[in-house]
Amino acid sequence: MSNDGENFAAFNSRALVEMVGDVTDEALKATKIKQFLGVLAGRYFNWAGRKSLFTLHLGIKCCAIEMAAAATPRFDGDRFGVLFRSSPRQSDVLLVNGPVSKKFADKIVRLWEQMPEPKYCIAMGECAISGGPYFQSYNILEGVDTVIPVDVYIPGCPPRPEALIDGFGLLREKIIRIGGAPSTGRDGERPVIVGED
Amino acid sequence: MAQMWITMGPQHPMTHGLWTLRVKVDGETIVDTDAELGYIHRGVEKICEDRDFTQITPYCDRLCYVSAMTWANSYIYAAEDLLEAEVPERAEFIRLISAELQRLASHLMWLGAFGPDIGSLTLMTWCMRDREMFLDLLQELGGSRMHYNYPRIGGVKRDIPVGFATRLIAKIKLFEKRIEEYEMLLDESTIWLVRLQGVGYTKAEDMVEAGVSGPNVRAAGVNYDVRWAHPYSVYDQVDWEPAVEKPTSVKGADCYDRYRVRMEEMRQSSKMILDAIEKIPGGKNRNYSTGDEMIMTKAPTRAPEGATGFSNYECTRGASQFYIKGGGEGRGKNPYRLSIRSPMFITIPYVAKTMIGYKIADIPAIMGSFDPCIGETDR
Amino acid sequence: MGMRVTLEQSDSAAKSCVAVLNERFSGSGIKSTVEHHSNAFKMPFVRIHVTPQHWLAVAKFMKYDISVNYCSMVTGTHFPDGPAERGWEVAYHMMRMPVSNVKPNTNTKHVAEKLSGNDIPLEFEVLIALEQGDTPTVPSIQSIWVGADWNEKETWDLVGINFEGHENMHRVLNPHDSPDQFHPLQKQHKLRYHGHNEMYDDSQGFGRKPADEGRNK
Repeated sequence: MSNDGENFAAFNSRALVEMVGDVTDEALKATKIKQFLGVLAGRYFNWAGRKSLFTLHLGIKCCAIEMAAAATPRFDGDRFGVLFRSSPRQSDVLLVNGPVSKKFADKIVRLWEQMPEPKYCIAMGECAISGGPYFQSYNILEGVDTVIPVDVYIPGCPPRPEALIDGFGLLREKIIRIGGAPSTGRDGERPVIVGED
Repeated sequence: MAQMWITMGPQHPMTHGLWTLRVKVDGETIVDTDAELGYIHRGVEKICEDRDFTQITPYCDRLCYVSAMTWANSYIYAAEDLLEAEVPERAEFIRLISAELQRLASHLMWLGAFGPDIGSLTLMTWCMRDREMFLDLLQELGGSRMHYNYPRIGGVKRDIPVGFATRLIAKIKLFEKRIEEYEMLLDESTIWLVRLQGVGYTKAEDMVEAGVSGPNVRAAGVNYDVRWAHPYSVYDQVDWEPAVEKPTSVKGADCYDRYRVRMEEMRQSSKMILDAIEKIPGGKNRNYSTGDEMIMTKAPTRAPEGATGFSNYECTRGASQFYIKGGGEGRGKNPYRLSIRSPMFITIPYVAKTMIGYKIADIPAIMGSFDPCIGETDR
Repeated sequence: MGMRVTLEQSDSAAKSCVAVLNERFSGSGIKSTVEHHSNAFKMPFVRIHVTPQHWLAVAKFMKYDISVNYCSMVTGTHFPDGPAERGWEVAYHMMRMPVSNVKPNTNTKHVAEKLSGNDIPLEFEVLIALEQGDTPTVPSIQSIWVGADWNEKETWDLVGINFEGHENMHRVLNPHDSPDQFHPLQKQHKLRYHGHNEMYDDSQGFGRKPADEGRNK
């Protein structure tokens, strides 16, 4: 009995599984198949991810109304795969659409940290870019990029829904370039501004 | 069963704005609430002490962003009280038309956000589609879909464009048929009635004591509308009646009454606009150039120390008031103190108290039926 | 046709209120007058100057005898360069609305021109001047009108006027961990970039660094 148990235990043991995994990993690395598979998988995930960007349901101020209008029949962001999710754990994009006050700053950082990688941030409207008309206020941060790294800036007060959809298009192009790079390592990337060309 | 506090935190798809509602629940029933505001406190009152009187109008647009034109008008009446400016009658008619168009757009936005809370996703698409009609009209007047910076001290910036009257009349007549479509969809829907009737009773005496005004208090049978009680503009020359609802129960007005009051207000606003565009002095098909005396009179730009201005205006969500003290920097070019009264600031603690005794699933119905807009609350 | 309260109605209502107030509080430094707005229909309103020690008595009289229904707005102003007896000013705006003849939960269609007596809607402005100093104090009317509750919290939060007798005072718009004596609308606190000349200075702020740069805001 115990002999059989020991024999089967050897095959089921965690140590054996890890050893087989390490051996396979070394073999794939040596033949450069792992690198090839990595590039292929990365391209595939970028292709899948950029066509379906789940945006967090966050409405701070006026630009949130234009964000809502961009989801309505006239402008229809849904045909580009833009869908709104209520929980930060399930979303890819944090769309900041209003001024960030001191009270809300640590909460927006917590929302950002709760989002899983790969994640992107879009600053929509003047208040999120630089404080907007409230740049002199005692309670408003001068732009959300003082606390969160921003990928795409959409100027306007408020930007039209077409500008928001264009911002998502430029984000898609950026995803092709940088793909799944973690958000902390994107400092060297030039920020994208809608309407720049 | 143990009681616990649940936080419906600032980021929540249902709160219609950025505020925290903490509810203490015993099972499913709410026993206590606590509201926390201030997540978009911009310090507008302090910033306006550094701006000229004409530079403050865009800030007032952005107070309640869903009904920007009414807030800009509200500030302009206070500034005209302070600077003692006269307004030509054609400009008053145009201000009435723009304010009522904004009221229609705002109520449609409310319905488009309230419907999905109750479960009717169709309403979101229908209401936003109809709201685009009015945003196009307001864009012709003001230049932008949302923040227009349109009224000026002493009049309005631009006259109504050529052909505006025809488009306006056609769209309003189409909208009057659309209101009947909404009622057909909602008033015969069992889910809508079950979720709204019998939920969120508010007594008239409590609301008056707390200072709630606007459609929320008219739903309880109190006939108080700033447009006739503290009159301004040309509301006495157009044909309309205040929209007041008889509550369905002695316990007070429920969410269904607050919904009906806003539908009736949309009807009255349409009637007002159609009447005003016919009665506008100077004709509806004329277009006067900017600065013409039919639409604007030159107003003084400085206010001496000791002068004060006050305005009481019926915004979409209640009575909004501005109190301006003159004598600021630049020999009176800036206000010394600008104070803003937001109807929602008074209503939100009252909404939090109303929820006690109902279930968690009733929170979206009660909260949405009061139509909160946090931009004006937090200033 | 749309109805409205006429100028004669409001004038007579305002004059009768002022007469009653002046008769009740004559000789104690409380002055009531009828003023007129300069906009729209030039409607009248009642302006009352009150001293802090008599404020509660006046407030109770207003609520129960003149039936002022709700406290709409509380504004505090700081005058650091003003005269010695007016270093701070608190302005209350109260409203009266026609509810007295409405039975609960009915739907009464008022005819505006036929309202009379204490039913006529009216605006009240109460001004309380406080002396120069660091601790302006006014008695709280939280127990008289429910609407004054959050208004007073906001005035203390932003301007720093203390309301004596107010229960559960806390910050309502500023963050809860703001420094203790920080009341932003006092005149010694200046805005960021105050005195900024848009045309010549760097309005986008690319070259400028704010004075509190690097600090965790």
